Amino acid sequence: MPLSSLKPKMRPHSSLKQEFLKKWIMGLQRCSFSKKNMSILERKKAIKFSADIAMASARNGTTCWSRSLISNASKEGSDIHVVEQILGSESDRPAVENKVPTRRASVCKKIVKRSCRIRRRRRRRKCVASAPSSIAKHLVRKRREVLKSLIPGGEFMNEICLIEETLDYITSLRVQVDVMRSLASASVRASE
Amino acid sequence: MELNEGMAGTGSHKTASERDEVAALESLQFTDEIRRLMSAPATDNASSFTALLELPAPQAVQLIHSPESAKLIAAPAPSPNVDDFKGSFHFPFNSELIERATRFSVFTGDGNINDNNKTNSPEPTSYNSSASLQKPVKSEPTETESSQPLVSGPTVENRSIKRKDREKVKGSTKKSKTKAKESSDDADKLPYVHVRARRGQATDSHSLAERARREKINARMKLLQELVPGCSKISGTALVLDEIINHVQSLQRQVEFLSMRLAAVNPGIDFNLDSVFTADSGSLMDSNFSGIVMPTMWPEVQLNGNRQQYPQQLHFDALQQPAWGKEEVCNNYITPENSLLSYDSGNSASLQSNQLKMEL
Repeated sequence: MPLSSLKPKMRPHSSLKQEFLKKWIMGLQRCSFSKKNMSILERKKAIKFSADIAMASARNGTTCWSRSLISNASKEGSDIHVVEQILGSESDRPAVENKVPTRRASVCKKIVKRSCRIRRRRRRRKCVASAPSSIAKHLVRKRREVLKSLIPGGEFMNEICLIEETLDYITSLRVQVDVMRSLASASVRASE
Repeated sequence: MELNEGMAGTGSHKTASERDEVAALESLQFTDEIRRLMSAPATDNASSFTALLELPAPQAVQLIHSPESAKLIAAPAPSPNVDDFKGSFHFPFNSELIERATRFSVFTGDGNINDNNKTNSPEPTSYNSSASLQKPVKSEPTETESSQPLVSGPTVENRSIKRKDREKVKGSTKKSKTKAKESSDDADKLPYVHVRARRGQATDSHSLAERARREKINARMKLLQELVPGCSKISGTALVLDEIINHVQSLQRQVEFLSMRLAAVNPGIDFNLDSVFTADSGSLMDSNFSGIVMPTMWPEVQLNGNRQQYPQQLHFDALQQPAWGKEEVCNNYITPENSLLSYDSGNSASLQSNQLKMEL
């Protein structure tokens, strides 16, 4: 994944915010049309869902996490129309392309799980090494696994990719939080 | 200034022949700084060497994304993201500095081999080892990856000097003392990436590739450290990763919380989409949000006129704890001012206004 595709900005660019907002509103509209009587939890889920999809689609399929988010979302049949609504405006449709890799992804998942199981068994037989460097490596490896679990689609990435994806994911999360926060405060202000 | 520190390292290693090269470079931007550093007292070899390598992280980050370093390589210009990125850091001249230093080091590589008048024996080897790191590199599939040896070389070199036993390469460790001269000769001929084999490190291809990979990872980790607040002071990969994980988790939790908060607001919020799509980027974020969001509980009446009537009733609501539209989870999250906004999902506006009046 080339670094030029990343945007490690201190402050998220307003164009990114605008794009995210547009897509999010589109998705929300689509959600609210379909379901009128929703409990608050369902509403929250729909909001978060459309926000995530909007954020992922803002990347236009350049990053791994966005693609895996969209592919995971398009698996569920109920919300797929929301995904299509948000992605439909774009010329390329990463959701369609991702249907093919999902099979590969599931195969990859199995292989990874199998190898993890084997690795765990081997580790149990080995005695724990007492050298400080190996302890440090062990710690780092554990944290890498946690990070992989946090980032969508992180299990399939190698270390370099993981860090790049984390960078991108953090910036987009920040954009998401900023937009949502300002929208929430604006709605409070508007009703006053 | 950090720039001065970096240049002080280069200043201390200059010989008379190198000063001619500097004079040739006087047409550049930072001639004043170079002159200042020329007159600066020569510091200790090792410390100045590390000073050269202790490029502050913004500069290192700048190097990764600088378009000037891409000039060194026959590669296409990077994406316009770099401009945004550069603007946020305010160090636009560093990339040129490194580029000049690189070209300069090419000269000094030959100069040091030829003239050994004034330089001590450890000096040229230590300086050449840093110089050869900055040789022009071949264009790899991505131009930024090829600039990694530029950046990650110095940064990793810095660490290797601080903790010599930290890097342990798999396989045998061969000692090559003449590699300083060898690499400077090979550098100009072969269009390959030059990952410098340090003293006491193995020089076979596997360990070199391993080291290149590790340097890539370290460079990206530095970027991450820059991004996550409070991470730049922490040393050690595990703790930095801890911070990053905490940051990501907190961001995700914030998204959850905010979406819950927004869900508590009237679900029939009618977004003024025209203003969204036509607004400029600047105005959108600041104050237009209140213009965008128009709750539909006043659809039949003019918004301005109605606002005067209802706020009093809404204030009433804020004082008591409204009982509608609540679940246990919400009670923990929603602040009192938001509680007034939590309604049941009402299909029509009249229903909602009726509910309001009933509660009062």
